[in-house]
Amino acid sequence: MFMTRSEYDRGVNTFSPEGRIFQVEYAIEAIKLGSTAMGIQTSEGVVLAVEKRITSPLIEPASIEKIFEIDRHVGCAMSGLIADSKTMIDKARVEAQNHWFTYDERMNVESITKSVSNLALQFGEEDSEPGAMSRPFGVALLFAGYDEKGPQLFHLDPSGTFVNCLAKAIGSASEGAQTSLEEQYHKSMTLKEATKCVLGILKQVMEEKLTATNVEVASVTKEENYHMFSKAEIEEYMKDL
Amino acid sequence: MAMADIYQNNYMSMAPTERRFEPYAFNGGNILAVAGEDFAIVASDTRLSQGFMIHSRDHPKAVQLSSSTVLAQSGFEGDITTLKKHVKIRIDMYEHNHGKKASTSAIASMISKMLYYKRFFPYYVYNIVAGLDDVGKGCVFSYDPVGSYEREQYRAAGAANELLQPLLDNQIGHKNMEGDFLPLSKEKALQLCIDCFISAAERDITTGDCVFLHVIDKDGIATKEFPLRRD
Repeated sequence: MFMTRSEYDRGVNTFSPEGRIFQVEYAIEAIKLGSTAMGIQTSEGVVLAVEKRITSPLIEPASIEKIFEIDRHVGCAMSGLIADSKTMIDKARVEAQNHWFTYDERMNVESITKSVSNLALQFGEEDSEPGAMSRPFGVALLFAGYDEKGPQLFHLDPSGTFVNCLAKAIGSASEGAQTSLEEQYHKSMTLKEATKCVLGILKQVMEEKLTATNVEVASVTKEENYHMFSKAEIEEYMKDL
Repeated sequence: MAMADIYQNNYMSMAPTERRFEPYAFNGGNILAVAGEDFAIVASDTRLSQGFMIHSRDHPKAVQLSSSTVLAQSGFEGDITTLKKHVKIRIDMYEHNHGKKASTSAIASMISKMLYYKRFFPYYVYNIVAGLDDVGKGCVFSYDPVGSYEREQYRAAGAANELLQPLLDNQIGHKNMEGDFLPLSKEKALQLCIDCFISAAERDITTGDCVFLHVIDKDGIATKEFPLRRD
């Protein structure tokens, strides 16, 4: 695609003669520079896992966060320009709380994803709502949650497109990880098996050695809602990898 | 009138003229809802009046909002019309945005917030929402005009609520009575609703003409009419 670079790759509001908006495509490329994040939807719940790149021993690992709670029943993992995700996470949280306040029920994962997708599409607009930017967002998000439709996993990219997935990998090693997911995923997977599966794949694709400090794992189930794994819980899974 | 006359006639002797903003009217009538184990009934009379004037003898006060939810309203007809329109739009928008039907409890909560957002210039409307809840049980939600709401088994509101509510307390609530009582059957509830309105029409001049009934159960919403005295 870089061969076709032209004057059309600057504006976010101009199609190229072939019908492409290059800035959006470049934003999707930006995700491939990010650390790998994965999610698997099982019948028991959804698991999210991300690698943390600790580039220096002087970095405090706990200060790198790539999985967030949106509401008690929804979590979100990300890859790409993490700073860009802050406004999106904020939007998702506000929408979820507003829905609960108005309708006295938890917002569906799809509706939350849709509201963030609306924000992601507002780049370059003049009178857009607060939180929108002049360029596309440089992150991809994985929304994992449990609602009336059961466990749900959604993938949202910088173009604002969102898809319901059974298993999805994003980030630098997403191609290899996605292939492994396609090989290993099966419908009758338990949540434990899925957790083992994502950690196993992360172990394969990560450049550094997998430890309990350089990954984040979270699950969303009907019983426990959103749950961020403690170091001890991650170590428990790593024993039999 | 010459300037001198104004001073002579009015300056000292004329009584002060009161002018005030009167944004509300009261259009009478009654609404009532009863919840059973697997059904709910909404009853309302069809008279629309103002003072001693009857505007209409055929104006239902209850409207179907979805396949399992009915909204009954009484108070100022102008506010009723506006609020009802907004509620319907909000339900349509909910269905478009979330790709599902709004549940009775979601509608009930939403109406509460819509009323409270008009806290300092309220809708002069008494609302009752009735229908089936998420598990198919009958439910009734009643409100005050600024949005305080509660789920109940039965509620009467409108001009003759002081007449109707004690009757329901006795017949459905079995208040201040001892012993075991049979669960409320649909037939008994229906007859009770009609009897309530016959009694209200005897004593309240704004109630009469006809009682309109919505019966909500798992098969949908059926409507019935029963004539009341027309004087």
